[in-house]
Amino acid sequence: MPSTNLWPQVEPLLARVERPARYLNHEWGCVVKDDAPFQFCMIYPDTYELGQANQAVRILVNAVNATEGMGAERAFLPAVDMADLMRDAGVPLFSLESCAPVAEFDAVGITLPHELAATNILETLDLAGIPLHSDERAEGDPVVLAGGPCAYNPEPYAPFFDVILVGEGEEQLPEALSLIRRLRGEGAPRADILRALAREVGGAYVPSLYRWRDEAEAQAAGSWVEPLFDDVPPVVDKRVFTGFATSDAYEPMVVPYTEVVHDRLNVEVLRGCARGCRFCQAGMMYRPVRERSADNIVSAVVRGLADTGYDEVSLTSLSSTDHSQIAEILTRVNGACAGTGVRVSVPSQRLDAFGVEMAELVAGQKKGGLTFAPEAGTQRLRDVINKNVTEDDLFSAIDAAFAAGWRRCKLYFMVGLPTETDDDIKGIASLAQRAYDRAKAAVPPEQRGSVRMSVSCAVFVPKAQTPFQWDGQISPEETLRRVGLLKRSVKYKAVDVHYHDPATSFVEAVMSRGGREVAAWVEEAWRRGARFDAWTEHFNGEAWTGAAEALGIDPAAVAQADFATDYVLPWNHITAAVSPRFLARERARAAEGITTPDCTFENCSACGACPTLGADIQLMEERAGKTGAGAVEPAGANPYRTVRAAGSATTEVRSASEAAAGGVGAPRDPERGPRGEGEGSSEEEAMA
Amino acid sequence: MADPRLFRLRVTFRETGRLALLSHLEVARALERSVRRAGLPYAVSQGFSPHMRIAFGAALPVGVGGTSEFFDLFLTDYVAPDKALAALQEASPADLYPTATRYIEPRDPAASVACPVSTYEVELSEAPRALVVPETVTVVRKKKEKTLVVADYLAGSVTQEGARVTFTLVSKPTGSLRADAFVRELVAATVAEGYAAEGLRPVSFLRVAQRG
Repeated sequence: MPSTNLWPQVEPLLARVERPARYLNHEWGCVVKDDAPFQFCMIYPDTYELGQANQAVRILVNAVNATEGMGAERAFLPAVDMADLMRDAGVPLFSLESCAPVAEFDAVGITLPHELAATNILETLDLAGIPLHSDERAEGDPVVLAGGPCAYNPEPYAPFFDVILVGEGEEQLPEALSLIRRLRGEGAPRADILRALAREVGGAYVPSLYRWRDEAEAQAAGSWVEPLFDDVPPVVDKRVFTGFATSDAYEPMVVPYTEVVHDRLNVEVLRGCARGCRFCQAGMMYRPVRERSADNIVSAVVRGLADTGYDEVSLTSLSSTDHSQIAEILTRVNGACAGTGVRVSVPSQRLDAFGVEMAELVAGQKKGGLTFAPEAGTQRLRDVINKNVTEDDLFSAIDAAFAAGWRRCKLYFMVGLPTETDDDIKGIASLAQRAYDRAKAAVPPEQRGSVRMSVSCAVFVPKAQTPFQWDGQISPEETLRRVGLLKRSVKYKAVDVHYHDPATSFVEAVMSRGGREVAAWVEEAWRRGARFDAWTEHFNGEAWTGAAEALGIDPAAVAQADFATDYVLPWNHITAAVSPRFLARERARAAEGITTPDCTFENCSACGACPTLGADIQLMEERAGKTGAGAVEPAGANPYRTVRAAGSATTEVRSASEAAAGGVGAPRDPERGPRGEGEGSSEEEAMA
Repeated sequence: MADPRLFRLRVTFRETGRLALLSHLEVARALERSVRRAGLPYAVSQGFSPHMRIAFGAALPVGVGGTSEFFDLFLTDYVAPDKALAALQEASPADLYPTATRYIEPRDPAASVACPVSTYEVELSEAPRALVVPETVTVVRKKKEKTLVVADYLAGSVTQEGARVTFTLVSKPTGSLRADAFVRELVAATVAEGYAAEGLRPVSFLRVAQRG
């Protein structure tokens, strides 16, 4: 149990740093359970304002605190100014709740939110004074766990973690921690604990229990790793939280003092998205789709606002407007918030007139910008990537949005998608300009001058566990050439083009596709000063290039190689429960430009997630209103899709007035803790 | 602005302990959230982006706390002041805590200008043998250096009792001398004169009174 209170050493530093509120703790709603015999520290490897907003951190801290005998505290990476002061003053990384050294915790969990957080993981461990490598840690050191989206290709992180949890963590993490606690109590050595985790906890990958093969051996054996013991699973499938749909949608949250990204109440309305975009990792890793009921969601909004005092609530998921009851939910939430000045937001806009109709329901009088993601400029390429959206969908959305009063629109695209040609790039310009023409036609003549359209381009990053995992990224030089072509192709002054820095996208691709050998590159780059790579002002390209030269490795080969579909990839031993056969089939269909329908609307696409996980798609009602391609089959013909009649939800929710009465003042009560049911570790709000 | 149908509740609160490190904006946001948690019938502005009708007193610099800070909250319905206070206290952390509530007239001066005279109390890390009050304080505002004459802002004298220093500053419509900038210079001048060792610093810094 952590016993040191570092506050007396931390406090004098705060007068000299930016935003001291990052380091204060004492926020409304934080739970202190420092008397529990087993202490866990949950770390987001970036600053407070990014980490505190993260839904996964919130869910996991609540889930551990809800476990008998366990306490969870939060820690974040200090900003560069504070980290440097701490090093000078000899102050190690501390948790917020107790201001205790992270190294004193029984177990430490670090979330892997995106590929550019890799050097921050080393910065975190180093600042905490925890040995960087699993094999250097002594019996008294914390067990260091990881989880999150990057766990789907864990190899670039392998030496740094004792165990990597794949999938949704609300049951898995407390299970893993309980096992660690029990075995530590029995005096088991570290090696035995790790072995037990691999054997007994579903979705747990312990890298040190697998020998890393070379390429030839891996291709012959069908896997890059060889289990060192018979009881260690050769393939690790992700965990899914099957109780998600019926669990309480209200996730109690800490209310920060300093402004954080997404500074609002979050209510996760559904999990998963089966639209099946072939580049999208989230679309593969949160299957199957599970909806929460309207009653559950509305009750969560009412209780959450009363408990937190927030003036904004976001109904989050990968595709909230796909929820079968979204119109009812938004209407009821609006009613509950009327006259209070509370804003309701829906983060992901579905690209059709229905999506705009839903956005309009909550927009009120203030209409900022709307964002749509056609992803590709031509129908051919949209079919290749399975973005089941037509120009008509986009234009009907634009018509509806600008007629309803919006004046600004942002369009997201990717460059460098597999099979992309210069015609597709020119297609982006053409689509954006025609969208602008449609927008102008939809507004009164005197307001046409205020219509703005912006194009934002990301570089395609091949992601593990997706149909495009075998496809290489284009080189940074080629990215710049294509972006240049796009900029020259846009003739309208009112349409502006923004794009991501290809140098950072390159590092992302290497981290996304690399094997265990990439870990050394990360470590060397960090030793050369790379940290906070996701921050434009901190990205240190020289550190990464220098590290590659020093180690004699060729990161371009990792990022850019195209592989045949039978090539065994470095993450072949990890699965998102989507079968390799499905991924291969989807890649083949992409090459032929054949689309695959969304199984929550139409036929089962046989991705394998439901049978592998013993789970079903859970919808509240039949989904309607999609204008996708393909014949709509009769309801119920998809064997893995269950549709509950409205009102038959099994969730127990307290009435709003009851919740409000019990909510005020309660968060300071350590007994209260979070509710028994944990919730999902979704990462739906990408922060890039 | 003065809507006769609204009730204007002046809430006095303390900002203490580590929450003295919050910025004015952070304090304002936290107080608004307390009001919503308290379930008070706050008024909402009209217009494109409706928000709570609330007005804050003069800002405190980061690192300076206060024992008698205040804000004005406009309510659509009358709530007995003691009931409003109890509800706010329920919904507030101990270091940002309402201590009194009373109704004031809708036409009374705005919260931000109601109390230009502030008294501060600073606890230094050690007791200097004497204090050196600087004649001027140079501050950087919008990237321009500006020299303020202390006598223009200082009301009465700077008093010292051991490590505790008390002084009163008056803010002018044309500007004000920030208490933290004044103390920084005061400490520097005192150390420069040899009345205290290097490393002299405030360990606690509070605004203890505000008046008109």
